[in-house]
Amino acid sequence: MRRRLLRVQRLGRLDYATALRVQKETERRVLHGEQPDTLLLVEHPHVITLGRRATQSAILAAPELLRARGVEIFETDRGGKATYHGLGQLVGYPIINLRPDRQDVHAYVRDLEEVLIRALADFDIEAFRIKGFTGVHTTRGKVAAIGVHIARWVTTHGFALNVNTDLSYFDLIVACEGEPVSSMKEILGRELSLREVEDRIIMRFAEVFGMALSEGSLASSA
Amino acid sequence: MAAYVPEDLHYSKDHEWIRVEGDTGIIGITDHAQQSLGDIVYVELPRVGDTFAAHDAFGSVESVKAVSEVYAPVSGEVIEVNESLQDEPEKVNADPYGEGWMIRIRLSDPSEIDSLLTAAEYEDYIRQEIE
Repeated sequence: MRRRLLRVQRLGRLDYATALRVQKETERRVLHGEQPDTLLLVEHPHVITLGRRATQSAILAAPELLRARGVEIFETDRGGKATYHGLGQLVGYPIINLRPDRQDVHAYVRDLEEVLIRALADFDIEAFRIKGFTGVHTTRGKVAAIGVHIARWVTTHGFALNVNTDLSYFDLIVACEGEPVSSMKEILGRELSLREVEDRIIMRFAEVFGMALSEGSLASSA
Repeated sequence: MAAYVPEDLHYSKDHEWIRVEGDTGIIGITDHAQQSLGDIVYVELPRVGDTFAAHDAFGSVESVKAVSEVYAPVSGEVIEVNESLQDEPEKVNADPYGEGWMIRIRLSDPSEIDSLLTAAEYEDYIRQEIE
């Protein structure tokens, strides 16, 4: 079977609302076959997003404090509860048509975890799954969160990997199931280049999903 | 694990089933669908009185941090909703054709049923999907 093509778009630093519009437009185009499966990579300014099951009580900080720290809040249709995105974190939104050969929601989420686990291993970080707690974990805590939405078998939303994230922002919310959060920087004791981590994510994504990278995917920039 | 496909139901390619009773129909998701989703932790359903065209999303289910939409196999008006799924969404995994039913609708065009798959056709369809 011919390998499917993966287009990669590096959006750079982009606010949540604008990136959401890019996601929705990409979803429409992928659904109608106007563009190949696409992996959007982005770094968001500080924002708290609430998944389908989150309530406002998941936000611990007072509105004044959030404003003072420049944190916006968005309600979304992804799975999961509350999470934080911010500078130093690599966010990936795979807009993938799971038809016809990948129509298994559970397998899709496990594949996303596999991409992250392999990319982390490229930096000598041992990461693993914990049954019942979707996401990617290390002995220091969770390094990557996952929350997705699937409509007509096209995926939106995705994963957030803490690279150099200022973890104090997670104190503003009840993240995930109360598990400690960590970052690649905390584990390795040094800052990493987001660009370098993006490159590994792209390679591992194409590998796990059995896709061929469209030309310029590694070289292109926003 | 092979999915169970009861004989007496009609199926959509979106993996929903409908059990026709007079001019109404009970709708849920198939055993194959619940297996693919994994453990369901949340079910969002419409309200009584809402109307849907065939293939419209009528609700969603959440599993493994994934929200998946579910689609009406035929057109109709919602006349009953399985409220118990709010507290016990796991019923959809345990008993997708029984206690895990989602909504009952009044069919707006009973002839649409003819365009759905029979149990044998649906079994062929999911077998092709897997291969």
